[in-house]
Amino acid sequence: MRNRTLTGQVLRQMYKMGAERLTQHVKKVDALNVFPVPDGDTGTNMNLTFTSGVAELEKLAEQTAEKVASVFSRGLLMGARGNSGVILSQLFRGFAKGLADSVEADSHKLADAFQQGVEMAYKAVMKPVEGTILTVAREAAAAARKAARSGLIEDVVERLVEAAQKALDNTPNQLSVLKEVGVVDSGGQGLVYIYEGFLKAVKDGIVFAEPEEAKPAVAGGMSLFGETHDEMHHVINPADIKYGYCTEFMVHVRPDAVFTQDEFQERISAYGDSLLVVSDEDLVKVHIHAEEPGEVLSLAQQYGALDRIKIENMRLQHEEVLRRQKTRQALKSPSETPTVSAERSQVTEAVRGEPDFDIPQPENAKKPYAIIAVASGQGIADIFKSLGVDRIIEGGQTMNPSTEQFVSAIEEENAERVLILPNNKNIVMAAQQAAELVDVPTAVIPSKSVPQGMSSLLAFSADEPLEQNRDRMSEALALVKTGLVTYAVRDTTLNELIIKEGDFIGIFDGDVVTSGQDAYETAKALISRMVDEDDGLITVIYGADVKESAMNELEKQLRASFDSYEVEVHDGGQPLYSFIIAVE
Amino acid sequence: MKLYIVTDSTADIPKELASELDIHVVPLKVHIDDATYLDGVTLTTAQFYEKLEKADRLPRTSQPSPIDFVDMYEALAAKGEDAQIISIHLSSALSGTYQTANLAKDMVQDKIKVHVIDSRTASYALGSIVVAVARAARERNNLQQCLDLAQRLIANHAAFFVMDTLMYLQKGGRIGKASAVLGSLLNVKPILTFDETGEVAAVEKVRGKKKAVGRMLDLAKEFAGSAPVVAAVVHATSHEEAEALKARIAEELNVIQDMVVTELGPVIGTYGGPGLLAVTLYKV
Repeated sequence: MRNRTLTGQVLRQMYKMGAERLTQHVKKVDALNVFPVPDGDTGTNMNLTFTSGVAELEKLAEQTAEKVASVFSRGLLMGARGNSGVILSQLFRGFAKGLADSVEADSHKLADAFQQGVEMAYKAVMKPVEGTILTVAREAAAAARKAARSGLIEDVVERLVEAAQKALDNTPNQLSVLKEVGVVDSGGQGLVYIYEGFLKAVKDGIVFAEPEEAKPAVAGGMSLFGETHDEMHHVINPADIKYGYCTEFMVHVRPDAVFTQDEFQERISAYGDSLLVVSDEDLVKVHIHAEEPGEVLSLAQQYGALDRIKIENMRLQHEEVLRRQKTRQALKSPSETPTVSAERSQVTEAVRGEPDFDIPQPENAKKPYAIIAVASGQGIADIFKSLGVDRIIEGGQTMNPSTEQFVSAIEEENAERVLILPNNKNIVMAAQQAAELVDVPTAVIPSKSVPQGMSSLLAFSADEPLEQNRDRMSEALALVKTGLVTYAVRDTTLNELIIKEGDFIGIFDGDVVTSGQDAYETAKALISRMVDEDDGLITVIYGADVKESAMNELEKQLRASFDSYEVEVHDGGQPLYSFIIAVE
Repeated sequence: MKLYIVTDSTADIPKELASELDIHVVPLKVHIDDATYLDGVTLTTAQFYEKLEKADRLPRTSQPSPIDFVDMYEALAAKGEDAQIISIHLSSALSGTYQTANLAKDMVQDKIKVHVIDSRTASYALGSIVVAVARAARERNNLQQCLDLAQRLIANHAAFFVMDTLMYLQKGGRIGKASAVLGSLLNVKPILTFDETGEVAAVEKVRGKKKAVGRMLDLAKEFAGSAPVVAAVVHATSHEEAEALKARIAEELNVIQDMVVTELGPVIGTYGGPGLLAVTLYKV
């Protein structure tokens, strides 16, 4: 395509193909995670983020570049998960800004839009690190700038992809840990896939023909519109579906019927969205999401005989998809609560006079503070609640909570001020993004682990203003050391440790420091590395995969080995991490 | 004119010190199961903690009755030297003892003038103030100076304490603002103090006793700055820990007198429980 302008239609196609290419390679991107841990995968997060943008586009009929870009960006902003997802959303937010006021874009405008994306993304990151998606985006945008001189859209995007790949290949030279493990940066790789999708869209041209160049799309398989059709059905939540029936059919236009595609399209579009109309001589193919498919068919019948009619109830379809997803993701049921010491149960008994349900507040009664924390595991949720957390957001297994989940939680809490504890370094940015999107004064305490979250909760005081709480709670993060024991998802060498898939690894404040084949021995070794003479308390929170009897034994051993420290043991019920350890 | 210094048994003043400085102590009453004892008279502190462990129900305490004060004041009046009494007592927010002393003061007003002072604190925080005033009374025998000193020390002292458990405080119904940490599954220890009204208040929440003691020391240091201080340690059945804390305080603060280490008596001990550790200090 030797185009000199980028239309909104092609831009839409770019986003879709970018999403498709990334979706095809999610597992590859996930596998690039430097840490061989089963957690917070870049590919999954980026994919879910990007497809949120595509889903948002489904609701848009308009075709200006400006509108397509801004609607896409909005979808990304809310759907952003994980740090990589948030950075991606900022890249395309800046990109959309660059296309403001543009019905179409020329090569310079397009290149500039990529550059604006880079600037916005750098601004969003507190401490930008080179050798990551930021570097790849930056170098790509710079190359795009230079290529814009030719005036051709394809040149801009081609150079974009080339430079991105080159920058990606260079990331191991910028981040030593990448070199050590022998991978390129995962976020950067995800972006490269997206850009490759862009290039395909720009090269292949528009799939949906302009009225003058009508070409019927491939009629095969399940849908009249094949591949393109599947891409339109990325809606995640049945409640979001406004027009519930995916309706497709063909019309054999009668010779005496007065038919123009524009007029036909305009009439049909009143019944729903996601409209595709392709016409060729006397055959018209139609796809629409409508709430009253019968009306659509009746209207179309005015033009001729109907053929190949297919109507599906999308809400039911998606409910089924979600049901299957939920079953797959279901956590094991939490282990038995360990016997609490008599003293503690007496105290807690005295307090649990309160009812278990929430007393509904009258509309205008806002509570002074709401604290939202991210947690996985019933036991950990209980601990947080006992420390004053009002609402728990489920931490997720490989995908992290989205910006939208935080926004909903904040709004539902209906408080005057909100504090958020993400408890995972890959969730901090999504929480911060949400804080910026809501009206309620909200502060995010950048907690990177459950122990940090616990420590900061102790510093909370309901009598103090938000800024003071934010400061004191943030200071409290440094008062505790965090240890994690989990299993390796692949073979790797890190910090001179040779780790095999399935081995247990011990992580101390973000560094893998020990590994072994037994979870309990690994826990003990990890604790030994963590404690020093200034510490006084070791807290072990055990996960869903740990049996109570084994835990009792470990507790005994810990008390014996670390007799100059207090030892506390709690049932967290968390997935993936056999032990979460706090030393303070 | 002779000045007498009176206080109550919650001041936790070591017996020898009270005797040396001629401090007169009115005992509160301690009820354990079905028996009633006079704090420090028919029940020693050590005996109290032994019984606490074995008791079926949480012990209860009650303030002295007006007649106990009247008897004390009249006995001092009878010594016949144109005397006046300074009577310094446990925080009125924690006990009716101060009220009762006031009542007694009115009842003996024909016989002797009594100045009753609400310390707005407890245990040896109260005790150290009483000791300072008693010393001043001995040295200069000046009523006004002693009254001023008492007020100054009440306004310029601090007490921080950590308990092993909040169970006793909560069961005794005196938890006050410290209740915010109750129900925590994590065994959180608040560092407590007395606020200006004499009520128990939480300063900070900490996990782990070692950390709590460390923070307590930090708070004491913050309060003192570089000023010279008179400091003391109070404990409940934790003699070794108390001595260790004393050593750390001596090292890290500018302490100008020998530090008193005293055990928490039954009246407050009933709420604090064994394992309590406290630092009290005032700026000189």
